[in-house]
Amino acid sequence: MLPPTPTPVGQGELAVRLEHVGKTFRRVAAGYPFRTLKSALIDRSLVRDLRPEESIRALRSISLRVAKGEAVALVGGNGSGKSTLLKIMAGLLRPTTGTVEVDGRVAALIELGAGFHPEISGRENVFINGAVLGLRRAEIERRYDDIVAFAGLEDFIDEPVKNYSSGMYVRLGFSVAIHTDPEILLVDEVLAVGDEAFAHRCLRRIEEFLAGGRTLVLVSHDLGLVESLCDRAHWLDGGELRLSGRPRQVCDAYREAIAEAEGRQHKEEKEAAAASMGGPRAAAAGGAAEASTSGDGSETHGGQEEPRRWGSRAAEIVAARLCDGDGRETYHLRSGSEARFVVEVRAERPLDDFVFGIGIFTPRGIECWGTNTDLIGLRPRRLAGTATVVVRCPELLLGPGEYLVDLAIHARDGAPYDYRRRVFAFTVTARERAVGPAPGRGAGRGLYLPHNEWRFEGGVEWEEDPGEE
Amino acid sequence: MKRMWKHRHLLAVMTARELKARYRGSVLGFLWSLANPLLLLGVYTFVFSLVFQPRVEGQSPYPVFLVCGIFPWVWVSSSLNEGTTSLTGNAGLIRRSVFPVELLPLVPVLSNLVNFLLSIPILVAALLAARALGHPVGGPAILLLPVVILAHLPFVAGTALALAALAVHFKDVRDIVSNLLTLGFFLTPILYSVAAVPYQTLRALILWNPLTPFVLAYQDVLFRGRAPEPAVWAGMALASVVAWSLGAWVFDRLSDTLIEAV
Repeated sequence: MLPPTPTPVGQGELAVRLEHVGKTFRRVAAGYPFRTLKSALIDRSLVRDLRPEESIRALRSISLRVAKGEAVALVGGNGSGKSTLLKIMAGLLRPTTGTVEVDGRVAALIELGAGFHPEISGRENVFINGAVLGLRRAEIERRYDDIVAFAGLEDFIDEPVKNYSSGMYVRLGFSVAIHTDPEILLVDEVLAVGDEAFAHRCLRRIEEFLAGGRTLVLVSHDLGLVESLCDRAHWLDGGELRLSGRPRQVCDAYREAIAEAEGRQHKEEKEAAAASMGGPRAAAAGGAAEASTSGDGSETHGGQEEPRRWGSRAAEIVAARLCDGDGRETYHLRSGSEARFVVEVRAERPLDDFVFGIGIFTPRGIECWGTNTDLIGLRPRRLAGTATVVVRCPELLLGPGEYLVDLAIHARDGAPYDYRRRVFAFTVTARERAVGPAPGRGAGRGLYLPHNEWRFEGGVEWEEDPGEE
Repeated sequence: MKRMWKHRHLLAVMTARELKARYRGSVLGFLWSLANPLLLLGVYTFVFSLVFQPRVEGQSPYPVFLVCGIFPWVWVSSSLNEGTTSLTGNAGLIRRSVFPVELLPLVPVLSNLVNFLLSIPILVAALLAARALGHPVGGPAILLLPVVILAHLPFVAGTALALAALAVHFKDVRDIVSNLLTLGFFLTPILYSVAAVPYQTLRALILWNPLTPFVLAYQDVLFRGRAPEPAVWAGMALASVVAWSLGAWVFDRLSDTLIEAV
């Protein structure tokens, strides 16, 4: 049988130690409350004698340590087990397997409105919450004014908490937790709810808290915050620890994985779209049929939706793909790396008037870049049969984000032959930091990351190596 | 148990809050807690002195006999009804914070106890009035009332703990409890005395009802003005020890899984 939690760590320097912690939840839809009552009474677990299909494994054998005075982040997608792990550290949930040792007084901010009673006033909640966190009435009274002032709730403290906005909830919850002077603070993605000003105050408070040698475990999707605040990060994926290490390293790897997944999805979507169009032939036929009804040859997806493809089809775009510098098809590129847009075109009958065009848009429709063969000064002579057009960008200077590609063939006067919007999407991630000969390239934020060089004159000095480790 | 003692301040805050919340926003405030027992006393007096006139040996005046059993009963039944839903009703609190959950079923027990205590002056007044009218009721045995209440408390608290924990796993518990309490009211000698029950088996059932010794004790110290018999004390002690141990055991075994199940 497992020892009760929490027990002292006994090594002095560790605040939290998890050994092979696993957590399995019962699927409520699977029923069987009788059996779980029996296992709850006998094994103190709801899942001991459930079959695998009646349970969900939220965590599988996680071992990790948090040293005293450390700020640790748990990152990962939804359902990766971060919050479950935090609840286990807080002693709110019991692990199904493994052991948990926590050394120090814990305050936990789990979800919104951590432990507030909706019907009663903020004032009384402060006292109850403080008492839960182990403070005596006199101690709470002493800190009461600070708590309310920090939360900025002087005017509302006597209102029932149910009438609070979500921001007010979080402010009060955080304020009580930080003012009860815990040794270990567990925070689950609640700071994102407060406004900018409060977030800054919280961060300042957390930094003071950490400076006092206290321990923080943070669950957050704000990777920037994780990188700036934490000493270590753990990336959870599917209930397993995928990577632990310095926050930058872990967050980059995590971002990378997201972008790769997005890239795969872009490819699948593109293939699905191509399949649903039934190939270029059927598309052309559809376009012709459409032309008789809507007049302009638009191929619409019904109703008010913007047309995705239109034109006379005197020449058509048969296929398009995005490739990296090595010519491999991919929909995930790093900022500053080479990109090749490869377009297969075909003309049934020879044409002597044609322009190839490309445009890159954000999902919200902002044109990042657009050009065509006319603009770059090419004069068409002849297009016949099939051809391949490659637009190569030696350094794609787009910032991190998702982008959509439009492709077109049209006459020089603008009359469309084949205009295709949103042919495919791709994801750009920040390039790896501080590598390569020119650190200014491909780093930064925004849509456009031009090459940039910084020069300094006068009393400015920099460390020799601003990089990692 | 140890945790409960550690959190006694919190328990006091929660109970005070519960009482305040109950009467918040009402004009008469806590006076309402006196209104209900007064109303009961008035209605029973009217019905049983003017409408029916039950002539039962040793229970005269009948309205006073009645309230001596009913007031403690109200404490028990409201505590158990509210205690049963105390965990399911506070699911948000339990899931999101490291809250000492074992306090939650105790809060309604204590807040209803306060209400019961507030109704005692009315009982005393009724007893004094009956004496003034020449009925031989009450007496110094009322000094034993605190002992009876203290002996009763573990029974109510233990039962509330077990029911609260079970209600998390089975929603039916709430309905079972409220119906059993209605039935229990008639299986407890509140409206009648045990001796008046004609059937042997029914009488046995009433005597085995764990609430019977408590109600008998209340009637003894309040109405009959005598110390309860040793058998009644033994019955109370047994019921309280069993209910508390069982309740604490069930709750303890289930406390680890409550957060997931609630």
